[in-house]
Amino acid sequence: MSISLSHLTKHYAKTHAVQDVSAEIKHGSLTAVLGPSGSGKSTLLKLISGLEKPDEGTVTIDGEDMTHVDPRHRDIGFCFQHYAPFRHMNVAKNVAFGLKVRKRPKKEIDARVSELLALVKLEGKAKSFPAQLSGGERQRMALARALAIEPRVLLLDEPFGALDAVVRAELRHWLKELHGQLHVTTVLVTHDQQEAMEVADQLIVMRAGRVVQSGNPLALYESPATDFVHEFLGPSTIFEGEVTRPHDLELVSVHQGQVKGRITSIVSLGFEAQVTVELSDGTSTWVQLSRNELSAMGLRVALLVGVRRREDIDA
Amino acid sequence: MTNTSKWTLRVVVMSYLGVLIGLPVTFLVVKAFGHGFGAFWSEVTQRDALDALKLSLEVAAIAVPVNALVGVGAALLIARHDFVGKRVLDTVFDVPIAISPIIIGIALVLAYSRIGWFGAPLARWGINVLFTPLGIVLATMSVSLPYVLRSILPVLLEVGDDQEQAARTLGAGRFRIFFQVTLPSIRWAVLYGVTLTIARTLGEFGAVLVVSGNITGVTQTLPIYIFDSWDQRFDVLGSYSGALVLALISIGVLGILAALKRREKKLLVDFA
Repeated sequence: MSISLSHLTKHYAKTHAVQDVSAEIKHGSLTAVLGPSGSGKSTLLKLISGLEKPDEGTVTIDGEDMTHVDPRHRDIGFCFQHYAPFRHMNVAKNVAFGLKVRKRPKKEIDARVSELLALVKLEGKAKSFPAQLSGGERQRMALARALAIEPRVLLLDEPFGALDAVVRAELRHWLKELHGQLHVTTVLVTHDQQEAMEVADQLIVMRAGRVVQSGNPLALYESPATDFVHEFLGPSTIFEGEVTRPHDLELVSVHQGQVKGRITSIVSLGFEAQVTVELSDGTSTWVQLSRNELSAMGLRVALLVGVRRREDIDA
Repeated sequence: MTNTSKWTLRVVVMSYLGVLIGLPVTFLVVKAFGHGFGAFWSEVTQRDALDALKLSLEVAAIAVPVNALVGVGAALLIARHDFVGKRVLDTVFDVPIAISPIIIGIALVLAYSRIGWFGAPLARWGINVLFTPLGIVLATMSVSLPYVLRSILPVLLEVGDDQEQAARTLGAGRFRIFFQVTLPSIRWAVLYGVTLTIARTLGEFGAVLVVSGNITGVTQTLPIYIFDSWDQRFDVLGSYSGALVLALISIGVLGILAALKRREKKLLVDFA
């Protein structure tokens, strides 16, 4: 189901949490709302779910104006940042909650619950309580609970924020697979650009309550609309007064480059190396090289080098 | 801590508790049974004593559920909603703890006497508050008002409203959310608050004495009966016996409380 947000505005006390936000979220897409903390991204999610009411603007889901519809009637699956498990219910009862509200027959509920637990790989945990689950398991339980009601839209607030790096990478991969299976329109909120780039097929970048840019991740990475998006979406450095990607720069011998400088540090990160160069005009920039490039050129600290853009080669 | 200082501390604490609580209660037991169990039994089963016990239990039967409902309602209001006067409401609930019960009693007399603001119109309807069981119920409810609220409020704030919001997105209405999500997460706190309320309700003396008029068999609760036996009728055995019964009830309530605390602790560990 598609979601259409039109001129949404929400104030808290005196701060603008969300200001004049309009966006189109395509049916079946996996959209990441990306922004630093305080950018209004979580509030935007609550506005879509109806847990918060906008001061102005409308939320349309699948052509239906939902702005004044209570969250309980929106058919939305919402996963909270800290999963909000019902702590006094076991996993199966948590997952069954939305179905019981809908007064489905017990047989159907039981069947659906085991189906969902299999989907989120929690088959053996039906009788466990949330306190007995790991963070990743709680997250998957929350997802199963939200999916149980066959929501039109799935909303995930910082879904991997509270997990350690390994579990996070696993879950990310798994979520993408799951989305491929279910095709439910999904919006997730994150402050982690890598997570957003990896999982989402659409990005909405927010800053200070406004949408800065939206579109598919690669397009945003390649042609960011502002310096903020540029810096937020990936590694960046300043070269000749412009924000640029460090992997778009290269080092050449000192007489080949128009811009010259001295290497001040080399950090090797396995395959990639980060070389910092202090330029003759006193500014400093860094260049991302592959391990092969680094060794082929015999670079070392204090060496004088030339710096230029890689596309200069084509030109 | 060294062994010596540990033992010293232990002895000091135990002696302190012994002087304050242990010895007096021991004397109470000894005195109550001073003329044998038969004498004790005939004291506690005599009509005035039984009437007093019955009235105390009846007052508790009204005051405790009412205060539990008010406490839960007010706690939800304060924890989950923003409104003008919220802090005032929060503070008002502490008044019965902060001021002496005798002041509450006198304030009730002023309000409900025949020349008081509420007393005069109520008297015209044939409702008398002072010197009736109704007055005792009011006084008892006033002094035992805060306990349920104070037990629940921190738990409600600690648990947060995530679970309630989750239930809402899953389609649950207010009633279902309250009974299936909110109440289960605060149930031990509610029970804890109710236990404290029972203890306070049964033991209340000052506020009740002022509004009750101390009419034997009609407005005499167990604590007042004990005081009356001691102070007016010089029936010390009756006083000791009544006191022992009241103490036993309170110890029973405390026992439940201790069990709940253990349970709560276990629960907290589970959720850590």
